[in-house]
Amino acid sequence: MTPEMQPIFDRVEAILRTHTKVDTVITPDVQMGADLSLDSVDMFDLVMEIEEAYDISFPIEEASSISTVGALVEAIGRRTNA
Amino acid sequence: MLDTNTGKTAMFAKFDKLSERIEGLYGNGRRPFGMLFERILSPTRGVIGGKEVLLAGTNNYLGLTFSEECTTAAKDAIDRHGTATTGSRLANGTFAEHVELEEALKAFFGAASAAVFTTGYQANLASLSALGGKGDHLLIDADSHACIYDGCRLSDAETYRFRHNSPEDLAKRLSRLPETGARLVVIEGLYSMLGDVAPVDEFVEVAHAHNAMLYVDEAHSVGCYGPTGRGVAEAQGVLDRVDFISGTFSKSFASIGGFCISRHAEFDRMRLASRPYLFTASGTPSAIAAARAALDVIAGPARLERRLWARIEQLYAGLSEAGFQPVSPPGPIMAVERPDDKLAMREWNALMDAGIYVNLMIPPATPQGKSLLRISMSAAHTEADVDRILGAFRDLRALQAT
Repeated sequence: MTPEMQPIFDRVEAILRTHTKVDTVITPDVQMGADLSLDSVDMFDLVMEIEEAYDISFPIEEASSISTVGALVEAIGRRTNA
Repeated sequence: MLDTNTGKTAMFAKFDKLSERIEGLYGNGRRPFGMLFERILSPTRGVIGGKEVLLAGTNNYLGLTFSEECTTAAKDAIDRHGTATTGSRLANGTFAEHVELEEALKAFFGAASAAVFTTGYQANLASLSALGGKGDHLLIDADSHACIYDGCRLSDAETYRFRHNSPEDLAKRLSRLPETGARLVVIEGLYSMLGDVAPVDEFVEVAHAHNAMLYVDEAHSVGCYGPTGRGVAEAQGVLDRVDFISGTFSKSFASIGGFCISRHAEFDRMRLASRPYLFTASGTPSAIAAARAALDVIAGPARLERRLWARIEQLYAGLSEAGFQPVSPPGPIMAVERPDDKLAMREWNALMDAGIYVNLMIPPATPQGKSLLRISMSAAHTEADVDRILGAFRDLRALQAT
Protein backbone atom coordinates (compact mmCIF):
# COMPACT_ATOMS: atom_id res chain seq x y z
CA MET A 1 0.00 0.00 0.00
CA THR A 2 1.41 3.37 -1.01
CA PRO A 3 1.58 6.27 1.50
CA GLU A 4 -1.12 8.18 -0.45
CA MET A 5 -3.50 5.38 0.42
CA GLN A 6 -3.03 5.73 4.19
CA PRO A 7 -5.80 8.33 4.71
CA ILE A 8 -8.21 6.13 2.71
CA PHE A 9 -7.19 3.09 4.75
CA ASP A 10 -7.75 4.97 8.01
CA ARG A 11 -11.24 6.04 6.97
CA VAL A 12 -12.13 2.58 5.64
CA GLU A 13 -10.90 1.03 8.90
CA ALA A 14 -13.17 3.34 10.89
CA ILE A 15 -16.17 2.48 8.68
CA LEU A 16 -15.37 -1.24 8.85
CA ARG A 17 -15.35 -1.13 12.65
CA THR A 18 -19.02 -0.15 12.57
CA HIS A 19 -19.88 -3.08 10.25
CA THR A 20 -17.99 -6.01 11.78
CA LYS A 21 -18.44 -7.65 15.14
CA VAL A 22 -15.04 -9.32 14.90
CA ASP A 23 -12.48 -7.62 17.08
CA THR A 24 -9.29 -8.15 15.11
CA VAL A 25 -6.44 -5.99 13.88
CA ILE A 26 -7.46 -4.66 10.47
CA THR A 27 -4.64 -4.72 7.92
CA PRO A 28 -4.75 -4.46 4.11
CA ASP A 29 -4.51 -8.26 3.88
CA VAL A 30 -7.54 -8.93 6.04
CA GLN A 31 -10.33 -10.78 4.19
CA MET A 32 -13.68 -9.10 4.67
CA GLY A 33 -15.61 -12.36 4.39
CA ALA A 34 -13.38 -14.90 6.16
CA ASP A 35 -11.71 -12.59 8.71
CA LEU A 36 -14.39 -9.98 9.43
CA SER A 37 -17.41 -12.29 8.94
CA LEU A 38 -19.14 -9.89 6.57
CA ASP A 39 -21.76 -11.67 4.47
CA SER A 40 -23.21 -10.42 1.19
CA VAL A 41 -25.82 -8.27 2.96
CA ASP A 42 -23.13 -6.68 5.19
CA MET A 43 -20.93 -6.10 2.15
CA PHE A 44 -23.76 -4.38 0.33
CA ASP A 45 -24.29 -1.99 3.26
CA LEU A 46 -20.55 -1.40 3.58
CA VAL A 47 -20.10 -0.59 -0.12
CA MET A 48 -23.14 1.73 -0.03
CA GLU A 49 -21.68 3.62 2.93
CA ILE A 50 -18.29 3.94 1.29
CA GLU A 51 -19.89 5.16 -1.94
CA GLU A 52 -21.70 7.81 0.08
CA ALA A 53 -18.58 8.80 1.99
CA TYR A 54 -16.51 9.30 -1.16
CA ASP A 55 -19.30 10.31 -3.57
CA ILE A 56 -18.36 7.48 -5.94
CA SER A 57 -20.16 4.47 -7.45
CA PHE A 58 -18.74 1.00 -7.93
CA PRO A 59 -20.15 -1.15 -10.73
CA ILE A 60 -21.57 -4.36 -9.20
CA GLU A 61 -18.93 -6.54 -10.80
CA GLU A 62 -16.09 -4.48 -9.35
CA ALA A 63 -17.71 -4.33 -5.90
CA SER A 64 -18.26 -8.08 -5.78
CA SER A 65 -14.67 -8.83 -6.80
CA ILE A 66 -13.26 -6.97 -3.80
CA SER A 67 -12.30 -9.42 -1.06
CA THR A 68 -9.56 -7.77 1.02
CA VAL A 69 -9.43 -4.46 2.84
CA GLY A 70 -6.42 -3.51 0.71
CA ALA A 71 -8.31 -4.16 -2.51
CA LEU A 72 -11.15 -1.97 -1.27
CA VAL A 73 -8.75 0.84 -0.43
CA GLU A 74 -7.09 0.55 -3.87
CA ALA A 75 -10.49 0.59 -5.59
CA ILE A 76 -11.48 3.77 -3.75
CA GLY A 77 -8.10 5.26 -4.69
CA ARG A 78 -8.72 4.55 -8.39
CA ARG A 79 -12.17 6.15 -8.27
CA THR A 80 -11.05 9.22 -6.36
CA ASN A 81 -7.70 9.60 -8.18
CA ALA A 82 -5.89 9.57 -4.84
CA MET B 1 -7.73 -40.28 -16.57
CA LEU B 2 -10.36 -38.79 -14.27
CA ASP B 3 -9.94 -39.89 -10.68
CA THR B 4 -13.63 -40.34 -10.00
CA ASN B 5 -13.51 -39.60 -6.29
CA THR B 6 -11.26 -36.54 -6.49
CA GLY B 7 -13.08 -35.29 -9.58
CA LYS B 8 -16.43 -35.66 -7.87
CA THR B 9 -15.25 -33.87 -4.74
CA ALA B 10 -13.89 -30.97 -6.76
CA MET B 11 -17.09 -30.72 -8.75
CA PHE B 12 -19.69 -30.90 -5.99
CA ALA B 13 -17.88 -29.53 -2.92
CA LYS B 14 -19.10 -26.04 -3.84
CA PHE B 15 -22.63 -27.04 -2.82
CA ASP B 16 -21.64 -28.47 0.59
CA LYS B 17 -22.21 -25.36 2.66
CA LEU B 18 -25.61 -24.62 1.17
CA SER B 19 -26.74 -28.26 1.44
CA GLU B 20 -25.66 -28.47 5.08
CA ARG B 21 -27.49 -25.30 5.97
CA ILE B 22 -30.72 -26.38 4.29
CA GLU B 23 -30.60 -29.94 5.65
CA GLY B 24 -29.96 -28.55 9.14
CA LEU B 25 -32.94 -26.25 8.79
CA TYR B 26 -35.24 -29.02 7.54
CA GLY B 27 -34.44 -31.34 10.45
CA ASN B 28 -37.13 -33.99 10.52
CA GLY B 29 -39.81 -31.66 9.22
CA ARG B 30 -41.18 -31.15 5.73
CA ARG B 31 -39.01 -29.87 2.91
CA PRO B 32 -40.47 -26.52 1.85
CA PHE B 33 -38.15 -25.96 -1.09
CA GLY B 34 -39.16 -27.97 -4.12
CA MET B 35 -42.32 -29.06 -2.27
CA LEU B 36 -44.17 -31.78 -4.12
CA PHE B 37 -47.71 -30.87 -5.14
CA GLU B 38 -49.37 -34.18 -5.91
CA ARG B 39 -52.41 -32.55 -7.46
CA ILE B 40 -53.78 -29.09 -8.02
CA LEU B 41 -57.55 -29.11 -7.58
CA SER B 42 -58.34 -25.45 -8.18
CA PRO B 43 -56.60 -22.05 -8.01
CA THR B 44 -56.85 -22.28 -4.21
CA ARG B 45 -56.65 -26.01 -3.41
CA GLY B 46 -53.97 -28.62 -3.91
CA VAL B 47 -52.94 -31.99 -2.53
CA ILE B 48 -49.65 -32.21 -0.62
CA GLY B 49 -48.61 -35.32 1.29
CA GLY B 50 -51.96 -36.92 0.52
CA LYS B 51 -53.82 -34.08 2.20
CA GLU B 52 -55.92 -31.27 0.74
CA VAL B 53 -54.29 -27.92 1.38
CA LEU B 54 -55.46 -24.34 1.01
CA LEU B 55 -53.00 -22.63 -1.36
CA ALA B 56 -51.95 -19.17 -0.22
CA GLY B 57 -48.57 -18.89 -1.85
CA THR B 58 -48.94 -19.55 -5.58
CA ASN B 59 -48.96 -16.04 -7.14
CA ASN B 60 -52.22 -16.98 -8.84
CA TYR B 61 -53.52 -13.45 -8.27
CA LEU B 62 -56.57 -13.54 -10.51
CA GLY B 63 -57.19 -17.26 -10.07
CA LEU B 64 -57.50 -17.87 -13.82
CA THR B 65 -55.57 -21.16 -14.07
CA PHE B 66 -58.76 -23.23 -14.09
CA SER B 67 -60.94 -20.67 -15.85
CA GLU B 68 -63.06 -21.74 -18.77
CA GLU B 69 -61.39 -19.08 -20.93
CA CYS B 70 -57.80 -20.19 -20.30
CA THR B 71 -58.26 -23.95 -20.22
CA THR B 72 -60.38 -24.00 -23.40
CA ALA B 73 -57.90 -21.76 -25.24
CA ALA B 74 -54.97 -23.95 -24.18
CA LYS B 75 -56.69 -27.20 -25.21
CA ASP B 76 -57.77 -25.74 -28.57
CA ALA B 77 -54.22 -24.58 -29.24
CA ILE B 78 -52.89 -28.10 -28.69
CA ASP B 79 -55.54 -29.49 -31.05
CA ARG B 80 -54.66 -26.95 -33.71
CA HIS B 81 -50.86 -26.68 -33.37
CA GLY B 82 -49.67 -29.63 -31.30
CA THR B 83 -47.73 -29.51 -28.04
CA ALA B 84 -44.66 -27.51 -29.07
CA THR B 85 -43.22 -25.09 -31.61
CA THR B 86 -39.89 -26.97 -31.71
CA GLY B 87 -37.98 -23.87 -32.72
CA SER B 88 -36.90 -20.34 -31.89
CA ARG B 89 -38.81 -17.22 -32.83
CA LEU B 90 -36.27 -16.38 -35.52
CA ALA B 91 -36.45 -19.82 -37.15
CA ASN B 92 -39.69 -21.82 -37.17
CA GLY B 93 -41.12 -20.78 -33.78
CA THR B 94 -43.21 -17.73 -34.69
CA PHE B 95 -46.85 -18.78 -35.01
CA ALA B 96 -49.78 -16.48 -35.69
CA GLU B 97 -50.66 -16.67 -31.98
CA HIS B 98 -47.28 -15.29 -30.86
CA VAL B 99 -47.71 -12.29 -33.15
CA GLU B 100 -51.36 -11.80 -32.18
CA LEU B 101 -50.42 -11.85 -28.49
CA GLU B 102 -47.76 -9.21 -29.13
CA GLU B 103 -50.29 -7.07 -30.97
CA ALA B 104 -52.80 -7.50 -28.14
CA LEU B 105 -50.16 -6.45 -25.58
CA LYS B 106 -49.32 -3.37 -27.65
CA ALA B 107 -52.98 -2.43 -27.73
CA PHE B 108 -53.43 -3.12 -23.99
CA PHE B 109 -50.50 -0.92 -22.95
CA GLY B 110 -50.79 1.60 -25.79
CA ALA B 111 -47.21 0.67 -26.71
CA ALA B 112 -45.25 1.01 -29.96
CA SER B 113 -43.58 -2.39 -29.68
CA ALA B 114 -44.00 -5.65 -27.80
CA ALA B 115 -42.09 -8.90 -27.65
CA VAL B 116 -43.13 -12.18 -26.07
CA PHE B 117 -40.61 -14.50 -24.43
CA THR B 118 -40.67 -18.13 -23.34
CA THR B 119 -40.51 -17.41 -19.61
CA GLY B 120 -40.77 -14.36 -17.39
CA TYR B 121 -37.14 -14.82 -16.36
CA GLN B 122 -36.15 -14.68 -20.01
CA ALA B 123 -38.17 -11.51 -20.64
CA ASN B 124 -35.82 -9.52 -18.40
CA LEU B 125 -32.76 -11.55 -19.32
CA ALA B 126 -33.40 -11.00 -23.04
CA SER B 127 -34.41 -7.34 -22.88
CA LEU B 128 -31.78 -6.09 -20.43
CA SER B 129 -28.88 -8.03 -21.93
CA ALA B 130 -29.72 -6.60 -25.36
CA LEU B 131 -30.40 -3.03 -24.21
CA GLY B 132 -27.21 -2.74 -22.14
CA GLY B 133 -24.43 -2.28 -24.70
CA LYS B 134 -20.74 -1.56 -24.23
CA GLY B 135 -20.24 1.83 -22.58
CA ASP B 136 -23.86 2.00 -21.41
CA HIS B 137 -24.97 2.26 -17.80
CA LEU B 138 -27.64 0.13 -16.14
CA LEU B 139 -28.88 1.30 -12.74
CA ILE B 140 -30.92 -1.25 -10.83
CA ASP B 141 -32.80 -1.23 -7.54
CA ALA B 142 -30.83 -3.18 -4.92
CA ASP B 143 -33.84 -5.46 -4.22
CA SER B 144 -34.23 -6.44 -7.88
CA HIS B 145 -35.21 -9.99 -8.81
CA ALA B 146 -32.46 -12.39 -9.88
CA CYS B 147 -33.49 -12.15 -13.53
CA ILE B 148 -32.74 -8.42 -13.52
CA TYR B 149 -29.33 -9.04 -12.01
CA ASP B 150 -28.69 -11.85 -14.49
CA GLY B 151 -29.86 -9.78 -17.47
CA CYS B 152 -27.39 -7.07 -16.46
CA ARG B 153 -24.59 -9.60 -16.04
CA LEU B 154 -25.23 -10.92 -19.52
CA SER B 155 -25.10 -7.39 -20.97
CA ASP B 156 -21.94 -5.51 -21.95
CA ALA B 157 -22.94 -2.48 -19.87
CA GLU B 158 -21.68 -1.44 -16.43
CA THR B 159 -24.30 -2.06 -13.75
CA TYR B 160 -24.79 -0.03 -10.59
CA ARG B 161 -27.16 -0.62 -7.68
CA PHE B 162 -29.09 2.09 -5.91
CA ARG B 163 -30.82 1.90 -2.55
CA HIS B 164 -34.14 0.12 -2.65
CA ASN B 165 -37.05 2.38 -3.62
CA SER B 166 -34.91 5.51 -3.28
CA PRO B 167 -35.24 8.01 -6.15
CA GLU B 168 -32.89 10.27 -4.15
CA ASP B 169 -30.11 7.69 -4.15
CA LEU B 170 -30.72 7.02 -7.85
CA ALA B 171 -30.39 10.74 -8.61
CA LYS B 172 -27.04 10.83 -6.83
CA ARG B 173 -25.76 7.87 -8.77
CA LEU B 174 -26.99 9.21 -12.12
CA SER B 175 -25.23 12.50 -11.49
CA ARG B 176 -21.95 10.64 -10.85
CA LEU B 177 -22.01 8.90 -14.25
CA PRO B 178 -19.93 10.08 -17.18
CA GLU B 179 -21.81 11.85 -19.99
CA THR B 180 -21.07 9.06 -22.48
CA GLY B 181 -23.24 5.99 -23.09
CA ALA B 182 -26.96 5.30 -22.81
CA ARG B 183 -28.58 5.06 -19.35
CA LEU B 184 -31.30 2.70 -18.25
CA VAL B 185 -32.92 2.63 -14.81
CA VAL B 186 -34.52 -0.70 -13.85
CA ILE B 187 -37.11 -1.09 -11.09
CA GLU B 188 -40.04 -3.36 -10.26
CA GLY B 189 -43.60 -2.14 -9.84
CA LEU B 190 -44.35 -4.52 -6.97
CA TYR B 191 -41.47 -6.34 -5.26
CA SER B 192 -42.04 -10.07 -5.04
CA MET B 193 -40.61 -10.78 -1.60
CA LEU B 194 -41.69 -7.92 0.67
CA GLY B 195 -44.67 -6.89 -1.44
CA ASP B 196 -43.76 -3.22 -1.47
CA VAL B 197 -44.60 -0.88 -4.33
CA ALA B 198 -42.14 1.41 -6.12
CA PRO B 199 -42.72 5.15 -6.48
CA VAL B 200 -42.68 4.76 -10.27
CA ASP B 201 -43.90 8.35 -10.72
CA GLU B 202 -40.89 9.71 -8.83
CA PHE B 203 -38.48 7.37 -10.59
CA VAL B 204 -39.69 8.46 -14.02
CA GLU B 205 -39.02 12.11 -13.10
CA VAL B 206 -35.52 11.38 -11.82
CA ALA B 207 -34.61 9.08 -14.72
CA HIS B 208 -35.79 11.43 -17.44
CA ALA B 209 -34.24 14.47 -15.73
CA HIS B 210 -30.88 12.69 -15.98
CA ASN B 211 -31.35 11.58 -19.58
CA ALA B 212 -32.02 7.96 -18.61
CA MET B 213 -34.81 5.66 -19.76
CA LEU B 214 -37.01 3.84 -17.24
CA TYR B 215 -37.70 0.09 -17.34
CA VAL B 216 -40.35 -1.25 -14.96
CA ASP B 217 -40.85 -4.96 -14.28
CA GLU B 218 -44.56 -5.35 -13.52
CA ALA B 219 -44.48 -9.17 -13.20
CA HIS B 220 -46.50 -9.17 -9.98
CA SER B 221 -48.56 -6.04 -10.59
CA VAL B 222 -50.18 -6.31 -14.02
CA GLY B 223 -53.77 -7.38 -13.50
CA CYS B 224 -53.70 -6.25 -9.85
CA TYR B 225 -52.94 -2.51 -9.88
CA GLY B 226 -54.28 0.46 -11.83
CA PRO B 227 -57.83 1.47 -12.76
CA THR B 228 -57.74 -0.92 -15.74
CA GLY B 229 -55.25 -3.49 -14.41
CA ARG B 230 -52.22 -2.26 -16.35
CA GLY B 231 -50.03 -2.16 -13.28
CA VAL B 232 -48.36 0.22 -10.84
CA ALA B 233 -47.26 2.69 -13.55
CA GLU B 234 -50.92 3.06 -14.54
CA ALA B 235 -52.01 3.35 -10.90
CA GLN B 236 -49.56 6.24 -10.46
CA GLY B 237 -50.58 7.94 -13.71
CA VAL B 238 -47.28 7.52 -15.57
CA LEU B 239 -47.96 4.58 -17.89
CA ASP B 240 -47.37 6.72 -20.98
CA ARG B 241 -44.03 7.98 -19.69
CA VAL B 242 -42.38 4.68 -18.74
CA ASP B 243 -40.04 3.58 -21.54
CA PHE B 244 -40.24 -0.20 -21.05
CA ILE B 245 -42.58 -2.48 -19.11
CA SER B 246 -41.83 -6.15 -18.69
CA GLY B 247 -43.94 -8.85 -17.15
CA THR B 248 -44.65 -12.52 -16.84
CA PHE B 249 -47.47 -14.81 -17.91
CA SER B 250 -46.93 -17.09 -14.93
CA LYS B 251 -48.94 -15.11 -12.39
CA SER B 252 -52.09 -13.16 -13.26
CA PHE B 253 -51.89 -14.49 -16.85
CA ALA B 254 -52.30 -18.12 -15.69
CA SER B 255 -49.68 -19.51 -18.04
CA ILE B 256 -45.92 -19.38 -18.55
CA GLY B 257 -43.92 -16.90 -20.60
CA GLY B 258 -43.11 -13.23 -20.42
CA PHE B 259 -43.22 -9.98 -22.32
CA CYS B 260 -41.61 -6.61 -22.69
CA ILE B 261 -43.38 -3.64 -24.25
CA SER B 262 -41.99 -0.24 -25.09
CA ARG B 263 -43.31 3.13 -26.14
CA HIS B 264 -40.34 3.17 -28.53
CA ALA B 265 -40.85 1.27 -31.80
CA GLU B 266 -37.08 0.76 -32.04
CA PHE B 267 -37.20 -1.79 -29.22
CA ASP B 268 -38.26 -4.28 -31.89
CA ARG B 269 -34.67 -4.33 -33.20
CA MET B 270 -33.70 -6.21 -30.05
CA ARG B 271 -35.06 -9.38 -31.68
CA LEU B 272 -31.97 -9.66 -33.88
CA ALA B 273 -29.49 -9.16 -31.06
CA SER B 274 -30.86 -10.72 -27.88
CA ARG B 275 -29.39 -14.14 -27.15
CA PRO B 276 -32.07 -15.31 -24.67
CA TYR B 277 -34.67 -14.41 -27.33
CA LEU B 278 -32.81 -15.95 -30.27
CA PHE B 279 -31.40 -19.14 -28.84
CA THR B 280 -34.37 -20.76 -27.20
CA ALA B 281 -37.59 -22.35 -28.40
CA SER B 282 -40.65 -20.11 -28.40
CA GLY B 283 -43.57 -20.49 -26.00
CA THR B 284 -45.73 -23.55 -26.55
CA PRO B 285 -49.01 -22.99 -28.40
CA SER B 286 -51.02 -23.85 -25.28
CA ALA B 287 -49.04 -21.45 -23.07
CA ILE B 288 -49.39 -18.60 -25.57
CA ALA B 289 -53.11 -19.27 -26.00
CA ALA B 290 -53.76 -19.35 -22.24
CA ALA B 291 -51.87 -16.07 -21.78
CA ARG B 292 -53.86 -14.48 -24.58
CA ALA B 293 -57.14 -15.66 -23.04
CA ALA B 294 -56.08 -14.25 -19.67
CA LEU B 295 -55.13 -10.93 -21.25
CA ASP B 296 -58.61 -10.73 -22.76
CA VAL B 297 -60.10 -11.30 -19.28
CA ILE B 298 -57.81 -8.69 -17.71
CA ALA B 299 -58.61 -6.17 -20.46
CA GLY B 300 -62.33 -7.05 -20.28
CA PRO B 301 -65.11 -6.00 -17.94
CA ALA B 302 -64.73 -8.74 -15.28
CA ARG B 303 -62.47 -6.63 -12.99
CA LEU B 304 -61.36 -9.66 -10.99
CA GLU B 305 -58.88 -7.50 -9.12
CA ARG B 306 -61.76 -6.01 -7.13
CA ARG B 307 -62.39 -9.42 -5.58
CA LEU B 308 -58.66 -9.80 -5.01
CA TRP B 309 -58.46 -6.47 -3.17
CA ALA B 310 -61.40 -7.35 -0.93
CA ARG B 311 -59.51 -10.47 0.23
CA ILE B 312 -56.28 -8.47 0.57
CA GLU B 313 -57.93 -5.96 2.90
CA GLN B 314 -59.48 -8.76 4.95
CA LEU B 315 -56.19 -10.64 5.33
CA TYR B 316 -54.17 -7.51 6.06
CA ALA B 317 -56.50 -6.36 8.81
CA GLY B 318 -56.63 -9.85 10.34
CA LEU B 319 -52.88 -10.42 10.27
CA SER B 320 -52.18 -7.03 11.82
CA GLU B 321 -54.73 -7.70 14.55
CA ALA B 322 -53.20 -11.11 15.25
CA GLY B 323 -49.75 -9.57 15.74
CA PHE B 324 -48.37 -10.62 12.37
CA GLN B 325 -48.00 -7.18 10.85
CA PRO B 326 -47.06 -7.54 7.17
CA VAL B 327 -43.89 -5.64 6.30
CA SER B 328 -45.59 -3.61 3.53
CA PRO B 329 -48.96 -1.92 3.05
CA PRO B 330 -51.87 -4.11 1.83
CA GLY B 331 -51.16 -5.78 -1.53
CA PRO B 332 -51.38 -9.12 -3.36
CA ILE B 333 -48.15 -10.18 -1.63
CA MET B 334 -48.08 -10.00 2.13
CA ALA B 335 -44.87 -10.96 3.87
CA VAL B 336 -44.58 -11.40 7.60
CA GLU B 337 -41.05 -11.07 8.94
CA ARG B 338 -39.90 -13.66 11.47
CA PRO B 339 -37.02 -13.24 13.91
CA ASP B 340 -34.94 -16.05 12.34
CA ASP B 341 -35.09 -18.85 9.80
CA LYS B 342 -35.57 -21.57 12.43
CA LEU B 343 -38.74 -20.09 13.90
CA ALA B 344 -39.97 -19.29 10.38
CA MET B 345 -39.43 -22.94 9.47
CA ARG B 346 -41.33 -24.18 12.55
CA GLU B 347 -44.20 -21.82 11.87
CA TRP B 348 -44.28 -22.80 8.21
CA ASN B 349 -44.57 -26.45 9.29
CA ALA B 350 -47.35 -25.60 11.74
CA LEU B 351 -49.27 -23.82 8.98
CA MET B 352 -48.89 -26.92 6.80
CA ASP B 353 -50.21 -29.06 9.67
CA ALA B 354 -53.23 -26.76 9.64
CA GLY B 355 -53.60 -27.32 5.89
CA ILE B 356 -52.34 -23.91 4.76
CA TYR B 357 -49.57 -23.54 2.18
CA VAL B 358 -47.63 -20.26 2.21
CA ASN B 359 -44.07 -19.58 1.02
CA LEU B 360 -41.14 -19.86 3.36
CA MET B 361 -38.50 -17.37 2.26
CA ILE B 362 -35.04 -17.20 3.81
CA PRO B 363 -31.71 -15.57 2.94
CA PRO B 364 -29.98 -15.43 0.51
CA ALA B 365 -33.17 -15.42 -1.60
CA THR B 366 -34.63 -12.54 0.42
CA PRO B 367 -33.67 -8.87 0.58
CA GLN B 368 -31.86 -7.52 3.62
CA GLY B 369 -31.32 -11.02 5.02
CA LYS B 370 -34.92 -11.35 6.21
CA SER B 371 -36.74 -14.60 7.06
CA LEU B 372 -40.32 -14.41 5.86
CA LEU B 373 -43.64 -16.18 5.73
CA ARG B 374 -44.94 -14.93 2.40
CA ILE B 375 -48.60 -15.09 1.46
CA SER B 376 -50.02 -14.34 -1.97
CA MET B 377 -53.71 -13.65 -2.34
CA SER B 378 -56.01 -14.68 -5.18
CA ALA B 379 -59.29 -13.37 -6.50
CA ALA B 380 -60.37 -17.01 -6.21
CA HIS B 381 -59.95 -17.02 -2.42
CA THR B 382 -63.20 -16.76 -0.49
CA GLU B 383 -63.88 -14.86 2.70
CA ALA B 384 -63.96 -18.23 4.50
CA ASP B 385 -60.55 -19.13 3.03
CA VAL B 386 -59.04 -15.96 4.48
CA ASP B 387 -60.68 -16.68 7.85
CA ARG B 388 -59.01 -20.10 7.82
CA ILE B 389 -55.60 -18.60 7.02
CA LEU B 390 -56.04 -16.10 9.83
CA GLY B 391 -57.08 -18.81 12.29
CA ALA B 392 -53.94 -20.78 11.48
CA PHE B 393 -51.77 -17.70 12.01
CA ARG B 394 -53.43 -16.97 15.36
CA ASP B 395 -52.63 -20.53 16.43
CA LEU B 396 -48.93 -19.86 15.74
CA ARG B 397 -48.76 -17.66 18.80
CA ALA B 398 -48.88 -20.75 21.01
CA LEU B 399 -45.84 -22.04 19.12
CA GLN B 400 -43.91 -18.83 19.79
CA ALA B 401 -44.39 -19.31 23.51
CA THR B 402 -42.67 -22.73 23.48
